[in-house]
Amino acid sequence: MALAVCTGCGIGDGIDMEHLMQVAGEEVDGIACMKHPALCSEEGIDHLLRLVRDAGADRLAIAACSPRVKSEQFRMDGVYVERINLREHVVWVMEPDDEDTQMCAEDHLRMGLANLGAISDIHPYIPEQVHSDILVVGGGLAGLTATLDGASAGYRVHLVEKSDSLGGYAGRLYKLMPALDGHGELREPDTSVLAEQVLAHPEVEVYLDSTIGSISGEPGNFLVQLENGKETSLTVGSVVVSTGWKPYDATRLGHMGYGLSPKIKTLEEFEKHSKREKIPDRVLFILCAGSRDEAHLPYCSSYCCSAALKQALYVRERNPEAQVYIIYRDIRTMGFQEEFYKMVQSDDAIFLTSGVVDSVSPDDARVRVTVKDSLLDEMISLETDMVVLATGMVPSSTEDLQLQYRLGKGLPEIEYSFSDSHFICFPYETRRTGIYAAGTVRAPMDLESSREDGAGAMMKAIQCIECVKRGEAVHPRAGDLTFPELYMDRCTDCKRCTEECPFGAYDEDEKGTPLSNPSRCRRCGICVGSCPERVIGFADFSINSVSAMIKSIHVPDEFEEKPRILVFVCENDAYPALDAAGVNRLKFSPYIRIIPVRCLGSVNKVWISDALSHGYDGILQIGCKPGDDYQCHFIHGSELTEQRGENLQETLETMMLEPERIRTRFVEITDYREIQKIINEYVEELELIGPNPFKSL
Amino acid sequence: MMDVKPDIGFKRELIRMSGSQLNQCMQCGNCSAVCSLAPAERPFPRKEMIWSGWGLKEKLIGNVDVWLCFQCGDCSSYCPRDVKPADVIAAVRQKTYMHYARPRFLGKLVSEPAWLPVAILIPVMVIASILSVAGTFKIPEGPVDYSGFFPHVWLNSTFTLITLLFYGVAFLGLVSFWKDMKRLVPSSGQETGAGSKIFPVLGEILSHSNFSACGSQRTRKIAHMMLFFGFGLLILVTLYAIWASHTGNYPLPFRNPFKIAGNVASLMIYSGLGIMVYQRLFNRSVFGKSSYTDWLLLTAIGLLTLSGTLVQLARFGNWSCAYHLYFFHLVAVWFVIMYLPFTKLGHIFYRTTALLYARSIGRK
Repeated sequence: MALAVCTGCGIGDGIDMEHLMQVAGEEVDGIACMKHPALCSEEGIDHLLRLVRDAGADRLAIAACSPRVKSEQFRMDGVYVERINLREHVVWVMEPDDEDTQMCAEDHLRMGLANLGAISDIHPYIPEQVHSDILVVGGGLAGLTATLDGASAGYRVHLVEKSDSLGGYAGRLYKLMPALDGHGELREPDTSVLAEQVLAHPEVEVYLDSTIGSISGEPGNFLVQLENGKETSLTVGSVVVSTGWKPYDATRLGHMGYGLSPKIKTLEEFEKHSKREKIPDRVLFILCAGSRDEAHLPYCSSYCCSAALKQALYVRERNPEAQVYIIYRDIRTMGFQEEFYKMVQSDDAIFLTSGVVDSVSPDDARVRVTVKDSLLDEMISLETDMVVLATGMVPSSTEDLQLQYRLGKGLPEIEYSFSDSHFICFPYETRRTGIYAAGTVRAPMDLESSREDGAGAMMKAIQCIECVKRGEAVHPRAGDLTFPELYMDRCTDCKRCTEECPFGAYDEDEKGTPLSNPSRCRRCGICVGSCPERVIGFADFSINSVSAMIKSIHVPDEFEEKPRILVFVCENDAYPALDAAGVNRLKFSPYIRIIPVRCLGSVNKVWISDALSHGYDGILQIGCKPGDDYQCHFIHGSELTEQRGENLQETLETMMLEPERIRTRFVEITDYREIQKIINEYVEELELIGPNPFKSL
Repeated sequence: MMDVKPDIGFKRELIRMSGSQLNQCMQCGNCSAVCSLAPAERPFPRKEMIWSGWGLKEKLIGNVDVWLCFQCGDCSSYCPRDVKPADVIAAVRQKTYMHYARPRFLGKLVSEPAWLPVAILIPVMVIASILSVAGTFKIPEGPVDYSGFFPHVWLNSTFTLITLLFYGVAFLGLVSFWKDMKRLVPSSGQETGAGSKIFPVLGEILSHSNFSACGSQRTRKIAHMMLFFGFGLLILVTLYAIWASHTGNYPLPFRNPFKIAGNVASLMIYSGLGIMVYQRLFNRSVFGKSSYTDWLLLTAIGLLTLSGTLVQLARFGNWSCAYHLYFFHLVAVWFVIMYLPFTKLGHIFYRTTALLYARSIGRK
């Protein structure tokens, strides 16, 4: 084992580095140490390499800056590097040349060294055989794009389509919107060209009239059974789901006249009508028909405004004498489509107003529509020959994937039955590793976005296969070579891990014994936190390694009035927020001891009791914001922590301790001022409560 | 409930006259927010913009709000979609003159370029016939004396009569305008007699207080005042001249106070016109598009004043072309004065009437 200490960036000015290295010597016998004024410089790295080589060390502690910076410089083949963050977490945020700051730095060093001593060597999980074929479910625009891109990248792609032809919704269109800048003419549909390219590609296998019988296995090794009259089974490495959408059921829009007359149509029906039949002199479009309405679809489908505007141009193009009336809630033409909106507006026979449709009453010859809250200043009544209802998108059910997972046949959904994907950070990722959602099945979107989605999801599917081949995790811990290892002898089949894993990594046998599928795992460690028997751990993140860190610090006795607060911070948002606080030189109490965790959900109860019995006065857990618009990178790690919190309070009660000794808080990555407040206020509160009575035991 | 039947012809007319891409209006209401004259309740010009976009002629013609706008251009300056509400409202006013013109063709006569020759030919023919009947339709000998060409009695009686005739039919138009205003924007109940509002409204007009609030074009107030008071002064001078021509002390000598006043008035008109033309030519982005009728009126006023000045110089200088200038001047007088109710100058009647109605129902 070796230790390199950097004195640059002010680290050496506030801390007695000689003493720090002395402490290292006391903790680890014969540890090779060095000190450098700029460790990340070329000269510093040279020294570092020499140190590691001379000592023959395979584990190296670097006491310097945050692990979030300089990670490339300090990466060393065959050497496990532990970064001890003295800069952002100690020197920059605490009083220099202060006894308490010095103690804090020394404890952080002890924790780092303890971790290095406790972790085991990393041997990645690489399945014996990793399949590189990719399955695409759904042959609409997103699916076709994904298929062609995947095949062009050299992967064999199996495209499964339940209908008898490719193209999906895009394939049924009369015309397309003008090119992105919004000027010019309506374009001829081009999906058939794409479909032909897909059919002609030698790396593509197309299965029409086929559905999925079952999908089992894990990334790199999914076994797929098709149902198409024949017994077809495929083995693929990853899956792209592009099963698309269907229009909202217009029969539920009776109040808008649907079903009363063939003169009242949906967007889809009018698309078909425009292809073949005569267009009357007056057509009225009702936008947001059953959308953004709690009684129907509460959301905006984002495509219907543009689609209706496009159809308004069909009317004007096919019948130049015709007038078009558009009743909208808000025109929501996404992105560059605003230009298209302006183009449509420049047609003086297209009349637009916002308003709420009050009644739609057809008779034999025409339809009368009344509108309230219109911009025209009063209730209005309009006579028209045809009404088109712009209905929204309902995603296809992902239950059709027939996943043989303990946690269900479909993809987990967030609101409105769209399959979950982390909209901001990882748009195509579902909660099922190796299965990527593309197009309207994951969010309402238009053709351009679907195309982009198909390409994006295919890239992810390819990336996943390549990661599995190297035994690496996919996002967000990309490159992580560890995986959960279970000591099954002590497992009690309690099912906690199989239920709490957000990604369905665990299946179960009949007895309820967990069956691990390591390639499905995202390495969040929630199972580590969930296991009451403490049988789950990663090579570098286990019950033992964190316990060792907790127990490594020196706790002053109660008469010294120097409390110790253990802070578990989630690596994803809370840790960066803490770093940002450091960069901004916000002052923190020197009594805190910080341990980063993979996810707040990975905190095991035993660590809490370890800390309390070791004499810490309080434990603060800081994670990412939970909730519907979750920021948690592992979906519900923070929520689980909250739930488990109740359990912890019971533990406190049995130990006769105050409930304040454990606290959980959530922050966003930008909340660096908030995190300062959370920590310092907690320290002040604990000082009032007084020392942990277990301290002197 | 309003039965909406879009009049696409009317909409296209407004687009043509205002040069506004009406449909691009997104009804943000910025125009009404920046307008310093819009009433708090149902302010203009936001609602007028969507009515225009839907071709709702019946809501716009005879709407009192259209006349509360003094076209300062603030709305157009601040419009995020550049749909020039000020110009659209101006176009609606132009359509109003045409709508209430009786007989109808008088409206067309002065608002469509194709009819311009006819509009000129009418006064030429009428004046020529009067002179023929009076028997003086030839250039007189000797020093310039206009009464020898057009005897004062003939001039004063015929021109007064014709003016009254034109203004009489215009009055009928104003009556239906008043009725339409009442129908479209009924009083909310606290109506005060229009009579009691005459003096406050005159005060508003004379003080130009409605121009003062404008942010975009400060010079407009000055220009309009020059023209307004110049014009007013000239009318006074003309009335005095008519009286003087009957009492014998005519033509007025150069140093006569009324003569001096008349020339000062001309100078005021020239200055006002100068500013207006300059703004239209070099400050288009703020001022907006000028229509045919706008230019026609400015030209007519310019020619009227210029020919008046020249006629006067020709008399003092005994120019040989004096009578030709005089004839031309009379045609110009006709063009500006007789056609007044049907041109943009018709705002003298319509706006005054509208202000009277607006103030009487408490709309401000």
